[in-house]
Amino acid sequence: MHIEDGILPAQACAMWYGATALFVYPGLREIRRRTRENLSYKPFLSMVGVAVFVISAMHLPVPVTGSCSHPCGTSLAAIIVGPFATAVVSSIVLFFQAIFLGHGGITTIGANDFSMGIAGGISGYLCWRLLRRFKAPLWVAGGVAGFVGDIVTYMTSSFELALSLHGNVPLTRQWLIFFAGYGPTQLPLAVAEAVFTAAVLQVMYNRRPDLLPGVKGTGNRPAITGKAEAEGLE
Amino acid sequence: MEEEKKEHGEAEDTRWFDTFTRWMLVIMLSMLFAIFAVSKYMDMHNMQGGGTDDTVNAMASRLASARAHPFVNLPGDAQVGAFSVANFFAGMIVGHNWKKLFGKDKK
Repeated sequence: MHIEDGILPAQACAMWYGATALFVYPGLREIRRRTRENLSYKPFLSMVGVAVFVISAMHLPVPVTGSCSHPCGTSLAAIIVGPFATAVVSSIVLFFQAIFLGHGGITTIGANDFSMGIAGGISGYLCWRLLRRFKAPLWVAGGVAGFVGDIVTYMTSSFELALSLHGNVPLTRQWLIFFAGYGPTQLPLAVAEAVFTAAVLQVMYNRRPDLLPGVKGTGNRPAITGKAEAEGLE
Repeated sequence: MEEEKKEHGEAEDTRWFDTFTRWMLVIMLSMLFAIFAVSKYMDMHNMQGGGTDDTVNAMASRLASARAHPFVNLPGDAQVGAFSVANFFAGMIVGHNWKKLFGKDKK
């Protein structure tokens, strides 16, 4: 999902930057508010950022297709620190990946953040909330969130490319063509991300439930992640 | 007695091969083993192992009739160097904050 510089036209880059800013701005406000409430929030957020950086740079070989791809980790981040804060964290992650690893690009940070940090994070987060509302076990809700967030990220990336480059080909067809480039390798990795997300959430619940917002039995006010997400989920 | 307790506590704190370390090593080695095994299999079957991002970017470049290029490009091994520097310091900071943030809640 790391679209490189030079592929999207300038207008598309600007549009995706604008769309991303709509989520990053409230994310920055949220981070500022929570930092005032709890001084540990900022280092905790940095840790989540490190995790997203590593997970989304971890190219794993998939023998079925003979190619490599990476999970995203933004569903997990959105569950732990909230979807808007995840949009901010992902934009920073994508900047460093662009300059250090040559993954993605500077002009495409908006588009890449929209697919990974926003679409992936929010879709995973919504799955988590929905399933937890229906009393699904923690590992099931986390697993589904990880899987859906991963696939939605790549579907959004394909859409971003198709929207700018479909030319005379119908948009849906071009979208499917791009997704066909990602899909076969990404499906097994989405399953791996589901397992990983479920495992991390379960370990967090066992070791430090206070870090996990909105889970029954973790107290009224999670120590770091704030009160907002805990409400309505208990 | 108290001194002995203190010494024992310090020994616990400085014991490097503890449960956490063992688990981390087990997970890391399992993942590395899986990566090496899969890579060997792919190599034996003449699979390139290229990234899907690159494949799709190349496909999109052809459609856009433009060559994808990184805005910032570190040549050759400079990329590994820059990444290692960033990794080292990030690792130190993560290690420094890890216990404060994720240490098992004594309560």
